[in-house]
Amino acid sequence: MIAVENLVKRYGSFTAVDGVSLSVAPGQIHGFLGPNGAGKTTSIRIIAGLLKPTAGRIVVNGHDLEREPEAAKAALGFIPDRPFIYEKLTAGEFLRFHAGLYGMPELEIDTRIKEMLDIFELGKWQNELVESFSHGMKQRLVMSAAFLHRPKAVLVDEPMVGLDPRGARLIKDVFRRMTEHGVAILMSTHTLEVAQEMCDLISIILKGKIIAHGTVAELRSMAGTPNDALTPVFLKLTGGSGLQEIEEIV
Amino acid sequence: MIGTAVTRPFPHLLLPSLWATRNRARRREKGDAARAFVFGGIGLAVMSALFYGAFWVTWQAAQYAELGDYLIRIGMSWLFLTFLSFLAFSGIVASLSTFFLSDDLRLMLAAPVASRRLFFARFARTVVQAGWMVVVFLLPVLAGIAFAKCASWWFVVTATMTVVPFVVIPVALGSAITLLLVNVFPARRARDILMLMGLVFAMSIVLLLRFLQPERLLRVESMPEVTDFFATLQSPITPLLPSFWAGEALFAGLQNGRDLLHIGALWSTAAAAVVLVGWAFERWHFAGFSKAQEARKARFTQWRVLDQLANLLPLSQVRKHLLIKDLKVFLRDVSQWSQLLLLLALVTVYLYNFRVLDLERIPYMSGFLKNVYAFLNLAMAGFVMSTVTVRFVFPAVSAEGAAFWIIRTAPISLKDFLWSKFWTGLVPVLVLTEILIVAGNNLLGVDPFLKRMSAAAVIFMAFALVGLACGLGARYPRFAADNPSQIAGSYGGVAFMILAVLFILVMIVLLGWPSSLYLFSQFRNRPLTTGQEIFIAAMFAAAAVLSIATWLLGMRTGVKALQEMDRTPS
Repeated sequence: MIAVENLVKRYGSFTAVDGVSLSVAPGQIHGFLGPNGAGKTTSIRIIAGLLKPTAGRIVVNGHDLEREPEAAKAALGFIPDRPFIYEKLTAGEFLRFHAGLYGMPELEIDTRIKEMLDIFELGKWQNELVESFSHGMKQRLVMSAAFLHRPKAVLVDEPMVGLDPRGARLIKDVFRRMTEHGVAILMSTHTLEVAQEMCDLISIILKGKIIAHGTVAELRSMAGTPNDALTPVFLKLTGGSGLQEIEEIV
Repeated sequence: MIGTAVTRPFPHLLLPSLWATRNRARRREKGDAARAFVFGGIGLAVMSALFYGAFWVTWQAAQYAELGDYLIRIGMSWLFLTFLSFLAFSGIVASLSTFFLSDDLRLMLAAPVASRRLFFARFARTVVQAGWMVVVFLLPVLAGIAFAKCASWWFVVTATMTVVPFVVIPVALGSAITLLLVNVFPARRARDILMLMGLVFAMSIVLLLRFLQPERLLRVESMPEVTDFFATLQSPITPLLPSFWAGEALFAGLQNGRDLLHIGALWSTAAAAVVLVGWAFERWHFAGFSKAQEARKARFTQWRVLDQLANLLPLSQVRKHLLIKDLKVFLRDVSQWSQLLLLLALVTVYLYNFRVLDLERIPYMSGFLKNVYAFLNLAMAGFVMSTVTVRFVFPAVSAEGAAFWIIRTAPISLKDFLWSKFWTGLVPVLVLTEILIVAGNNLLGVDPFLKRMSAAAVIFMAFALVGLACGLGARYPRFAADNPSQIAGSYGGVAFMILAVLFILVMIVLLGWPSSLYLFSQFRNRPLTTGQEIFIAAMFAAAAVLSIATWLLGMRTGVKALQEMDRTPS
């Protein structure tokens, strides 16, 4: 599981993340929503151990990220928004390297790599260089790596960017199967349909602060629009759509 | 308003690169002043040396009336012939990027831009990219020649009128070759092949120039060879080459004459080349560009032997995987491993120099000189070590690039990561410099004490310099750099080179001073006094302490910098 307590990140006088607290239980998908620049990616990167928080505490699978970074990271998988990988390695070599970093038992690695490549439909690309992959294929390879070492919790930053509908469907299925096995997933996304369809709980962040938190039904009632889809609820909670202004300009 | 950009002349398409250059110049970064001082100073020193060299050679040649003029004329034609081949090759490489691989091409080709306009804009960029270095080199050389011959202002006009079309012709030829190549091979494969060809070419030139033994020409007994030497220089010069026209036009300019025939030949050929290549581009560029987009798959070697070898090493699983990854990425990147060819050529030349060094010609001094050369060898090996280290070890952290998130989110300590980079870098650097020092000293036949001392010193120096390079590389990473040369030329790279040179100089003093005491005592057959023995031991200990401190402090700085890093390249 993931527990975040009073997370703060300041860049000089600018506060990017301002007292964010949330928790993701095993088997749960927690959506992290917010407009551009709200602090989603910064929060996710802090939880992944890529950025240092100004204040706050992060616990992954019972390990404090600051005190026991290696134990916490060993239980975590991370899927960034842009899939930068070593271009001169093959898919198989990249996963083997990843398995080595996460200390997987040598005997288990080959079988597990094959499993993951098959799940993410990359089996026939195992011996091809990453540089020849499309964006969607790289994204799926990063996901294979994130789930390779059987993490207890997974952080996902914008999972559907660059994926075709088939790829998107596949990812949703994989996420569901992983949660059935007790994996906790914290997912930031702009795609509200995905959040509505997949997330058990949603936190909405605006200007670095969590302004709403709950299930989709709870958010609807909070916004006073019980029968709406998530998009108008999100727009209402985050400060209007600007559609009227667009109408005027057009 | 729609369509305004289409009718604008082709320089409009150059605006993004001009603005980007302007913005880069305006941007201020930490260490700008130091970088400007070091690189500006080096640039100025090189240009001054070129000016002085050209001035001196012309001045000397001018003392021999007609023969002197003949030498200047032939020299200029040869200078331009060299540049002709360099520019053609440079044109091939630059046009590959500007016409086929550049990221902004998709934007340009998707826009309603006429192909002729696109060609002119891209060709102008190619000429600047391929030719600026030649122009910067020619400027002080021609100025030196002009001053020595007291040329008039007309020479400046002639030089401008000559150099501009002279640069355009080979670049146009290079662009045409590229056009042909990318219609046969995929663009990225063509780039790799060219890069390799260029390095093999450079390596051959280095080896050829050295094995010709130009120092023989300075000996009195080899005067007949000088005549032969010039005879060989003369033979390939043909009046049909633009280099000959440029040489002739400039030579006329030196004598206040006006060689309009050759200047006219240069301009008309340049114009014809641009028109012809432009036509060819309109016809075949899009097909080549399309191919560059489609055929991205490259052949590569699996290097399974590396996995097997790494399994034999007594390393932790994490370090083993880091090592395999680093080696495979290095060996599959042509721009990386091909640099080793040039290094190999330089090492060959280095050792060859010691082999042909004829110290026996100075009978009374040969023993003494040999031992002085042993220290020179140590200093040179140290400089080779720092150059190799800044090029291959310093960029190790930055080379992770945008993929560094993988390491940072993995359950490994950054200390382990940096130490893995250290050991990966140390082994080849140590082996290379140890070979240089042992082979060099054996070829020289230096005192056995110096041989042992140098071999031990190199071990300490390698630990220190590789540690410092790893540490500073982690402290000043450049994750966004396109290639390792950019990383080596960054603020951190320059800082490393300055510190490395200082370290080597201090080490030479700490080792050379006590060694000279020992050698003099041997030479005079007098035993060392107790005071002298203590002094020698203290100096050697100081050298060891300095090396160990540089090594460990360098690594500590690097680990600390990585742990405190508060940004992410992805």
